[in-house]
Amino acid sequence: MISTAAKTTTALRARPFLGAASVVALFVALWMALVWSPPDAAMGNVVRILYVHVANAWLAYLAFVVVFLASVAYLWTKRLVFDAIAVASAEIGVLFTGLTLVLGSIWARPTWGVWWSWEPRLITTAVMFAMYVGYLLVRNLSDDLERRATRAAVLGIVLVVDVPIVHLSVTWMNALHQLPSVLRPDLSPTLDPSMLASLIAMTIAFTFLYAYLMTARVDIERRRQARVLEARA
Amino acid sequence: MTLRRIRIIAVREALAERGQPDGLISAVTFVATMILVESLAVGPLAANQPAIAAALFWIAMAFAAILATSRSFERELEDDALSAILALPGGRDAIYGGKVLALTALLALVAIVGGALSLVLLSLGVALPGHLLTVAIAGVLSLSPVMVLFVAIALRLRSRGALVPILVLPVLVPQLVAATNGTAAAASGDAAGALAWAGLLVAFALVYWVLGFTIVPAALE
Repeated sequence: MISTAAKTTTALRARPFLGAASVVALFVALWMALVWSPPDAAMGNVVRILYVHVANAWLAYLAFVVVFLASVAYLWTKRLVFDAIAVASAEIGVLFTGLTLVLGSIWARPTWGVWWSWEPRLITTAVMFAMYVGYLLVRNLSDDLERRATRAAVLGIVLVVDVPIVHLSVTWMNALHQLPSVLRPDLSPTLDPSMLASLIAMTIAFTFLYAYLMTARVDIERRRQARVLEARA
Repeated sequence: MTLRRIRIIAVREALAERGQPDGLISAVTFVATMILVESLAVGPLAANQPAIAAALFWIAMAFAAILATSRSFERELEDDALSAILALPGGRDAIYGGKVLALTALLALVAIVGGALSLVLLSLGVALPGHLLTVAIAGVLSLSPVMVLFVAIALRLRSRGALVPILVLPVLVPQLVAATNGTAAAASGDAAGALAWAGLLVAFALVYWVLGFTIVPAALE
């Protein structure tokens, strides 16, 4: 029942620990990325933007896959908690996709000589950003809780099609963007071990941050759902 | 049983369109206008390049498909017929399948007229007409399931006129890229390229058919 939304759940109890873990992990990962890992032979210190850019992109993928899973779960069970998870994850995904585009653009300027290039990875990422902005728009245009959740769930299932397209676009088409460095088909990362360790540390830190933001946003959405249902009753 | 219902809905759509062909006329007029305006905007020298002509044609087709699909569902809403169909057993599957079939037929007609206009007005030469036809059929097949899916999702939303293009155009990017490249390949004599892109379009069509049948019944209100 929605009236239990404000009750202390495992996720809510875990939130302070997730927040603390995010801060600690981010400090460690930043130290590894900015101090410990070596500069790149070709790009020099510019390569350090890789650690936040890739971690951002990972979070965007993760967030949209969670939207998909929560959408399937909502259509299956009709429990509004899954709708709350979907909207929370979509908002976080849109935020981090936007940051991925901005950081990628900042990285492109010194390496490619341009802020933006019309190449597959950039376009498909921008398209994914536009798709999920559309998802959030659809949600905001409906006041009925269940109808909005059903409509959004259907959309959340359809839109996930773009996530593998974004990831594989660089291998399918000739691209200026480099090929995947970690999630490769042959499962053999092409990065220097210390760079790879820094990247993994940053990705773990960002995942903690995602979990922290999710617990906060899901809680807000559950309270909102409870208010709507109470007003209806 | 479901197939019979799908056929009934598709025939009903065709009869409604024959009685009042505003969907077809507006889509054909729209495609013709778009091709003319776009060719003027890019200039005559650029407009008859295979890649550019193909892009102009498929962008026009995408917008025409949005127009035709929205019109088809508006007709249901105006006549208050949607609720009755949805109340029938198997009505939700049937309305998706029937609408997709009817839209595919309508878009095929629009593609024939729009394609002929492009060939004549832009003085395009086609090296492989059979391959061009294959790509055109695959392109039309890949447009209709996506259109019906998104118009169905946005059906009862306010400002759906603006919302449907915002939702559907980003999703259509792979299909538009494939259809444009396939058409350009057929026009310039690259048989293998044209067939590869047509295959990709058919794959997209299948994915969205299955996805539509699985989830659209839940979205229809």
